[in-house]
Amino acid sequence: MMLNTSWKNDWSLLKDSFQQDCQFHSNHFKYCLAHPNEVQTTVLEDIIRLGQNSLMWKEENYRLNTVNVDEYRKKIPIKRYADFIPYIEREIDAKGGVLSCSPVMRWLKTSGTTGSAKKVPYTQHWMNHYRVPAIKAMWSTYMHHCPEMLSDPYAVLDMQTVLEEPSEFIKGLAYQSISNRYPRLDKNDWTPPWLNAPWFVSGMPGSHEERMYHRLRFLIGKPLHFISTINPSTLISMWDILLSQQERLINDIHLGTLNGKKLFEPNATLAKQLTSILNTKNISFKDIWPSLSLFSCWVSASAKLYRPLLNKILPGVTQIPFMTCGTEGVVTIPVDESLTSQPLAINQAFYEFVPAEVDMSDVLNPAQSTNTLLFNQLETGKEYHLIMSQANGLYRLATGDIFRVEGFEGNVPRLNFIRRDGIFHSFTGEKLTEDQVTEAISTFSQQNNIDLGLYMCGPKWAHIPRYVLMLETPSDLSVSNDEIAEKIDGCLQKVNIEYASNSTLAIIQYT
Amino acid sequence: MSTTTKEIEFILIDQVRLAAHKWIPTEIKGVVFYFHGLQSHGGWLWEVGNLFASNNLAFICIDRRGCGMSEGERQIIPPVNQLLLDYTLAISHCLNKLPKSVPINLFGHCLGGSILAALLNYKGFTIKFDSVVFCSAWLGKLYSTLNEKELEKIRFDKSDELWDAGLHAEDFTSDSRYSVFIDDDTLATRKLVSRSRKHLLDLEEYYLGSNWNCKKPVVFISGTDDTVVDLSSALSVFQDLTAGKGTIVHLPTSKHYLFFTEVKNSLVNWVSYLTVSKGNIHCV
Repeated sequence: MMLNTSWKNDWSLLKDSFQQDCQFHSNHFKYCLAHPNEVQTTVLEDIIRLGQNSLMWKEENYRLNTVNVDEYRKKIPIKRYADFIPYIEREIDAKGGVLSCSPVMRWLKTSGTTGSAKKVPYTQHWMNHYRVPAIKAMWSTYMHHCPEMLSDPYAVLDMQTVLEEPSEFIKGLAYQSISNRYPRLDKNDWTPPWLNAPWFVSGMPGSHEERMYHRLRFLIGKPLHFISTINPSTLISMWDILLSQQERLINDIHLGTLNGKKLFEPNATLAKQLTSILNTKNISFKDIWPSLSLFSCWVSASAKLYRPLLNKILPGVTQIPFMTCGTEGVVTIPVDESLTSQPLAINQAFYEFVPAEVDMSDVLNPAQSTNTLLFNQLETGKEYHLIMSQANGLYRLATGDIFRVEGFEGNVPRLNFIRRDGIFHSFTGEKLTEDQVTEAISTFSQQNNIDLGLYMCGPKWAHIPRYVLMLETPSDLSVSNDEIAEKIDGCLQKVNIEYASNSTLAIIQYT
Repeated sequence: MSTTTKEIEFILIDQVRLAAHKWIPTEIKGVVFYFHGLQSHGGWLWEVGNLFASNNLAFICIDRRGCGMSEGERQIIPPVNQLLLDYTLAISHCLNKLPKSVPINLFGHCLGGSILAALLNYKGFTIKFDSVVFCSAWLGKLYSTLNEKELEKIRFDKSDELWDAGLHAEDFTSDSRYSVFIDDDTLATRKLVSRSRKHLLDLEEYYLGSNWNCKKPVVFISGTDDTVVDLSSALSVFQDLTAGKGTIVHLPTSKHYLFFTEVKNSLVNWVSYLTVSKGNIHCV
């Protein structure tokens, strides 16, 4: 049975409205960037409107007489996620009305990178008025940089969204990642033209490898212009699977099959072309898809370590960032190609900042009062803790993320995610952070013109304690381990003064 | 873009705070007051509340005293007068915050249907309404299934032992997502303190044998079969109460909790239309 191609009709029907809708939200975001004070007040009004009749506000006595930034900061304490848990547990039963007065549609599951997975309420209001508009504004930027992406139903490979039947539920509501947008919750939910494309729909294979193969099978030989993903590792994985499954892929293309089913016209010419391409040295995705002109993924913090590898598999293809966001909310929305910073998503939340050098445990101590900074009180080059009030009921949430201000878009700061707060190690008070190790390795890489990959670094207790660094290097590297260790050690001493003063204690070991 | 708000308001009645779950659309074209059954509570209505609100109907469920998020002694059926007073005052309180001129529907599910039937006979209930729905409600259950000896036993039971209502999730739904929810619901009522069962008898006595002579449309809705309710028995009482003038609608399912079946949307849309049209609805 040949493949049903009715999804192409859906694509044609959705294409124009999708483009217009994205453009609308992009224009709105740009308006917001030009009127940031007014917009932050509007967002705060909305948050208060939805919060003031919630059980949490009533029971915690968060009475606000007016929508006033100072009163809001005075009456409502800064909290960590853990402080919300008693109310989240009640919200699980009520599904709206406990944290905020909007129906909870599903629970978002965090990756749990800094502890057990969280439960973030995905409310109807938050989805319709914040999260989905943010994606649309971002896609408008993508369209601006790659207008061809709507020229053909096969022009976009969207891997930032997945559609998977949820497998976990909490008292009736699905518990899934933010990137899983299945099922559509209402007519305002994310509806790209490729919604029903066979490499996007919920019937895709469950395993990562098979899913990726599925995408490759459908898109090879097609005029692909844009690949979008969140994590750069997805692109690397796609490349690995292309190489490891090439025989199967060529055979399937030749026979017109997928998993033994004849779904396509047999294509001996394309199979031959692919064979030829894959037998050539130093190939890239650009050889597979000559039309490819843009790709998006995260580029900040440790994600930038992927750049050398991405340059190899996507040479000459423009990179554009994915929004800086977590399950808890959006922080920046890309408006241009800059890989170093993007403007604060001024219409997505009410944002507050605390200088990074301040200990957040002091800020969270109810006995102490800390004056937070607003978006218009930040300075270029400085780093800040982020505190966010989102319209899903997590008010004044200390996110644990630290951002650096790289400049301004009008009056709105352009931010770069630097690191998680509190993720460091000390032997003797050096507080060595992931960001500092990354910076030292990047400096070494640039100074010595060596493409380095990912790394892992950890403390090793011994008579003389030290750090152990495992680092991906080119196979033909002629520099010795000791030499690399010495040089990276030198770079670390420059970025961390305390480390420098105790550097006799800390030795880099290269593996 | 319309926005639904979901609020929980605690209403203080006789020193007990009753939880009212409210789904309120931006534009309100009608109001549905939902009377939950023995086991369920407002926490079961997350999808239905949103669906009614998307049809521009405010949807309100008051957790019965001792149920769901309401305060009060658990696993107890309150005395009838208390029960009817609770609903009368709570509904009245909620209506004060809603537009005055919109049509009102009263919707009782299962035991909630029995409570609603009694409420319609309660002199203190003077709230104007426009339509009534009994959904999968076994009206007159005890009197139709128990002999006089068994009824007497309930009437004079002073035991604090728990009586198991024998409710099974698989009778309510065939969808595993919902049956897991029912089984895991820590707020559900599955057993009753035996001495309070006499209040169920009082409830039935409150409406059995009466004739409402109700000028408003009254509808009985159920599946084509029901794994919990003897439909012929329930419909016989319904016909008596409405003097044969009520409407009967069967939807294609055999499960008891229609909102956890594939007929959910049809039911919501049908009741929405009934509510807004005040019963000027043509059934084929």
